[in-house]
Amino acid sequence: MYLAPEGEELEIATAAADFIADALPIARLHEGGGSDMGAELRASLGEMGWFALALDEDRGGSGLSAVEHALFFREVGRQCGPLDILVQALGVQCAQDLTLRAELVAGESGVALLMPDSDRHRLIGGTEARYGLFVTPQGAALHDLSVAKIEPRPALDPANSLAIVSGLGPAIATRDGAQIWQLGQVGTAAMLLGLAEAALDLIVEYAKVRETFGKPIGAWQAVRHTCADMAVSNEGARSQLWYAATALKEARGDASAHLDAAKHLANEAAQFATDSNIQLHGGIGVTDEHDAHLLMKHAALLARLFGSRNDLLARLLHAELED
Amino acid sequence: MDLRFSDEDRDFRARARQWLAANVPSTPRPAGGHSASQFDRDWQRKLYEHGWAGVAWPKEFGGMGLSGLQQVIWYEELSRAHAPAAHVSTTYVAQMHAGPTVIARGTEEQKAFHLPRILSGESLWCQGFSEPGAGSDLAALRTSGRIEGDHLVVNGAKMWTTDAMYADWMELLIRTDPDSQRHKGLTWLAFDMKSPGIDIKPIRTMLMDDHVNMVFFDEVRVPLSAVVGELGGGWSTAMATLSFERGLGFIADQLELFEKVGRAIELASELKDADGRPAIEDVEIARRLATIKAETMAIRAMTLADIAETDRTGIPGPKGSMMKLKVTATHKALSRLVSDILGWQFFEFDGNRNNNLWTHDFLWSWVFSIAGGSSEIQREITADRVLELPRSR
Repeated sequence: MYLAPEGEELEIATAAADFIADALPIARLHEGGGSDMGAELRASLGEMGWFALALDEDRGGSGLSAVEHALFFREVGRQCGPLDILVQALGVQCAQDLTLRAELVAGESGVALLMPDSDRHRLIGGTEARYGLFVTPQGAALHDLSVAKIEPRPALDPANSLAIVSGLGPAIATRDGAQIWQLGQVGTAAMLLGLAEAALDLIVEYAKVRETFGKPIGAWQAVRHTCADMAVSNEGARSQLWYAATALKEARGDASAHLDAAKHLANEAAQFATDSNIQLHGGIGVTDEHDAHLLMKHAALLARLFGSRNDLLARLLHAELED
Repeated sequence: MDLRFSDEDRDFRARARQWLAANVPSTPRPAGGHSASQFDRDWQRKLYEHGWAGVAWPKEFGGMGLSGLQQVIWYEELSRAHAPAAHVSTTYVAQMHAGPTVIARGTEEQKAFHLPRILSGESLWCQGFSEPGAGSDLAALRTSGRIEGDHLVVNGAKMWTTDAMYADWMELLIRTDPDSQRHKGLTWLAFDMKSPGIDIKPIRTMLMDDHVNMVFFDEVRVPLSAVVGELGGGWSTAMATLSFERGLGFIADQLELFEKVGRAIELASELKDADGRPAIEDVEIARRLATIKAETMAIRAMTLADIAETDRTGIPGPKGSMMKLKVTATHKALSRLVSDILGWQFFEFDGNRNNNLWTHDFLWSWVFSIAGGSSEIQREITADRVLELPRSR
C-alpha cells in the first residue's frame, strides 16, 4: 500500500512536467498561440510517445498504466493544456487497424472529442482534426470527420476550439467496454487536479508579495483560510485520484466507483480553486493578461466531460466498495 | 503506487475480524454515567486480556506495535463489527494521549506504574489543558503551581474537561514559573484525581448531557514525582505525543464516517417521507448522499496515503489539520442530511444517544469541529505549515 508517485513514476512525472512546460507553457495562450495542439506540437508529442503511454506494448505502446497516464495529464492540466492531447491518446486506444493506430500514435493526424448535443454533435478540440472520438462508459467509436459538416463556433475556453458537427458518417473504428471511458475519466480528473494545484500555487505566491493595509494579504485570515480550504479540497481530490488510478491499474472490482468519485472530487476542487484564485487576486484576477481566467474557463469545460456531476453521483450512490 | 495490503496485513485483518465477531459486547454502551465508564473499562480489560490493547503502542511498553496501516485495518474492523468505538470511550485520553506522553517523556517509575494500568483499563484519564481564558490559544493558560519543598501547590481552573468525574488521573498542564510567558514555564503533571482540594462542576451542554466539566484547584498539593518531563518543560512534553500519534488522532472518526454513510444510505432507502416515498427517491437527498460518500472515499484515500507515507519515513507529515477540517466538515454535512431524512423522528431527543444516535451525532458535529483545535485554528495551521503563508499572528 503506497499512494504517492514513487520510483519510475516520479521520473515520468518529472519528464512530463519538463516537456509540457517547455512545449506548451500556459503563457502561449497570452501570446496568440491559439487553441488546441496544432499539427507541429502533435507530431512532437507523438515522437516522444506520450499518446501511447498507457497503450499495451503488443499494440505498439509503452505498456504503462493509468497511474502514469494520470501523472502525465496532471502536468498537461497545470499548463492549461488542450483537451485534444487526451483525446488523441484515447483515439489511439480505440484504433484497431495497425495503420490507423500508427498514424494516431505518431500524431500524423488529429482526433477531437465528439459530444452529443440534441440531434447533432459538439466537437471539442482541433477543427482541423481528421477524426472525431465518441466515448461512453459502454464503448468508444472513431469517426472520419472529412465527410461531416463542421461549423466553427466561438469558444469561451481559449485552450480548445469548439465546433458543431452534423452529418457524421459511420464509425471507422469501435471498441467495446469501459476502458477508454475510464482512461478519459483519469485524464480529465488529472487535468482538473493540475488546474486546481496551479490555481492554489498562483494565489499562495501572490499572497506572499501583494500587500494591503500594511501587510501581505497572506497574513489576513480571510485570505489564509480560503487558501487552506483550497489545499484541503485539492488534497482530497489528489488522494482519491491516486487511489482510483491505482485501482484501475490493479483491475480491482471497485475501480469504476473510485473513478466516479475521483472525477467528481476533481470537478469540485478545480472549480472551487479556480474561482477562489480569481476572487482572492482581486481586480488583477479578472484581467485578460492574468492566467486566472484561463484556469477557470478550462476547468469549467473539463468538469462537463467524462461524467458530469449528476451522472457521477447517480452511479456512485449504490456502488459497492472493497477493502 | 500500490493498493495491495501485504499478506501479513491481510492476515491481521482476518484475525481481527474473527476475534471481534466473537467478542463484541451484545449490549450497547450505556449512554453516559458511571455505567458507561464501567462498560469502557470492561471492554478495555477484555482487549487487554486477549492481546488487542495498545494498538499504537510499542511492544516494549505492552502494546501491539502495529504499523500505521495495521491500525487503519484495526479501526476499520472495529467500525464494521459495531464494536465500542475508541473515540467515544472514556479510555480515549489514556490510550491516545496520556499513555503515549508517559512513553515519550516519563521516568522508568512512571512508565512502570501508569502504562499497565492504562492498557488494562484500570486507569482512566482526563485532559486538563483548556481553561476559561485558554482554549484554542492554549499557551495563555494561567493555572499555577508553586514549589513548596518536594511538592507543587496548584491553584486555578480547567475547563471542557471531558469525563473528569470518572477519571482516575488527569494530564494537567500548569504554569510553574509565575514570571513566564506563553509556552515557557509550563509543567505537565500526572495528576491524581483523588487529591484533596479539587472540585468538579459539570457543564450542561446543548447535547443535554454533562460530559464536560470545570475542574477547580484550591491549594492542591502534588508531589514533584508527578512531573512528566522537565519542570518548566511542559509545552515540550505536551507536544511530544503529537509525533507519536503520527496523525492518527482522528483515525477512528475518519474511518467510522465511511461506515456511517453506508448506514445513512440504508436509512434513506427504508424511511418514507411525508408523502410515503422512500427518502432516497428524492433527487436532492440522493445527490447529497452520493456527494458525502465521495467525500468519505477521499478521506479514506487521504488517510491511507498519509499513513503509508508516515510508515515509510517515520516522520508524520503536516497534514493532520487538513484531515481534521475535512472530516469535521463531512461529518457535519452528513448529520445535517440525516436530519432531513429522519423527518420528525429527528426532533424526538431526550439526551440519550442510544435512543437517537443520529440526533446526538448532529449535535456532536459542533463539538467535533471546535474541540481539539477549532476549524479556524486548523486553517491557521494549514496556512502556516502546509502553504507557508506569512504569519497572521
